Amino acid sequence: MGTASGIIKALNSGIKHLAVKRFTLRYPEQKLKLVGDGYQFDPSTGVGIAGYKGRHMLFHDHCTGCNLCSIACEGVAEAIAMVKVPNTWKHNKKAIMPQIDYGKCVFCGLCVDACPFYALYMSNDYELSSFTKEGLIYTPQQLQVKPSVQQDAEIQIDDRGATHG
Amino acid sequence: MTEQIPTDHTEQLPPGLQLEKVDDRIMTLNVGPQHPGSGHMRIIVKIDGDYIVDADPDPGYVHRGEEKMAEVRNYLLNIPHLERPVIHDSCNILYPYVLGVEDIVGIEVPERAKYVRVIAAELNRCVYIQYWLAIYGIFLGHSTMFMWPAGDRELMIDLLEKMTGARVTHSYFIPGGVRNDIPANFEDVCLRQVNYFEKRIKEYADIFYDNPILKARTEDTGVLSSQDAIRLGTTGSVLRASGIDYDVRVKEPYDVYEELDVHTNVLKDGDSYARSKIPWLDMFESCNIIRQALEKMPKSGSVRTKLRPNPKGVGNNEVYKRVESGRGAAGMHIISNGKPEPYRVKISPGSFRNLIALPYLLKGEKLGNMPAVYWSLNYWPVEADR
Repeated sequence: MGTASGIIKALNSGIKHLAVKRFTLRYPEQKLKLVGDGYQFDPSTGVGIAGYKGRHMLFHDHCTGCNLCSIACEGVAEAIAMVKVPNTWKHNKKAIMPQIDYGKCVFCGLCVDACPFYALYMSNDYELSSFTKEGLIYTPQQLQVKPSVQQDAEIQIDDRGATHG
Repeated sequence: MTEQIPTDHTEQLPPGLQLEKVDDRIMTLNVGPQHPGSGHMRIIVKIDGDYIVDADPDPGYVHRGEEKMAEVRNYLLNIPHLERPVIHDSCNILYPYVLGVEDIVGIEVPERAKYVRVIAAELNRCVYIQYWLAIYGIFLGHSTMFMWPAGDRELMIDLLEKMTGARVTHSYFIPGGVRNDIPANFEDVCLRQVNYFEKRIKEYADIFYDNPILKARTEDTGVLSSQDAIRLGTTGSVLRASGIDYDVRVKEPYDVYEELDVHTNVLKDGDSYARSKIPWLDMFESCNIIRQALEKMPKSGSVRTKLRPNPKGVGNNEVYKRVESGRGAAGMHIISNGKPEPYRVKISPGSFRNLIALPYLLKGEKLGNMPAVYWSLNYWPVEADR
């Protein structure tokens, strides 16, 4: 193949793509649809349930304050601290629950694997940015709130290319 | 007012800091470590006009002490930090560690988990190669070739996100299988996106690989003969571009690779063009492997053997495992002394071994060809520094 025909072919390939659909996620307006409700772990079978590893969800009625999540995190990120919870809440015998610092968390999900009581799982919420470092520390009270997320964009593929529909 | 500096003193200084005899022909040029054309490393090149007379790569700027960190954490807690060296190829860099720990703690892996691992590893290889290719494009001033792979990479990242729950640093492999089963309906989505991905990467031929401008830049630059490729101990795509048919997936198959039909791509030329083409051909091979694995995978069953959270070494106390990562053979040498923590974890990444060839390839090249030769070595600075 000659040089001229090669260059024309390359340019032609680029021009053809003017007709191909744009493969861009317009992020704040569109958000990717994620699998399921988030990453969970079934202690009875010892296998996780597929899902996105985002911000944690904590069930206060399941948590026994056993420290296993914070022990698991010690070797990874040291993001989990066990804190005293107010007596006015319904709480476990030791009255301690995990508090997670998202400035340190690496979202590996090993704390979820460590929990034998199904008290901790990871939700689809990944928009955690904050203006202060303290804003990244989530107390047990904040962790029990189920995030409301509007995520519906999925990759659609047809003859004219892929797009986030 | 010239101060006399003793010559023997200067020789003890690290490379690049030595005071040199001023030569009116040879100039020393530091490329990096901040230069966007070198990654987190420095290449000290000596140039005579436009020609490179000597090149000395100086890695080590992003050394993180992964190997030392592995000695104070137990076998499971090592997983998140050991995949950090190559965050977009994290399944493949973790693969040898997981295989080794399975030998050390003596557990079996369910059949389905082996196939899931192969699919995740091949998807991850495509993600890595697309990223590498995008940077190769922008190094050569071809910005379309930056946009296309960076965009098409999203198809594979989306699949990995559905599988593992994270877009990069998946922490997915675990001794005894994988962390979680693939979601329902994943096979159909995977097949559809992999087929479309293959169609897309075929289009790179016209605009990049058959483009006469790229060929003029890369053909006959940095030629590595097959004898030199073996002598210098290069691996992966660099070795295969020099005409040596070596792929760990074929020569020492691990997990279920022996049941799959893996074809190795070999090119004879050994120049930058051949080295840049081999990873692209490998992506087609990865698509084939994913399709085969999806077909042969057991449709149900366990994906993880139960393992206590703090396992101790019981079986072999010393293992060396090797896999084919995106950059060549990646090995891990793990020594256990019966405690929950490994005694020693030695990582042997493909990047570092490919970098050894760089001074030999750059000698006699034009300075303008340096990025084309350097990045064609399939080198990732962070992985080489560990």
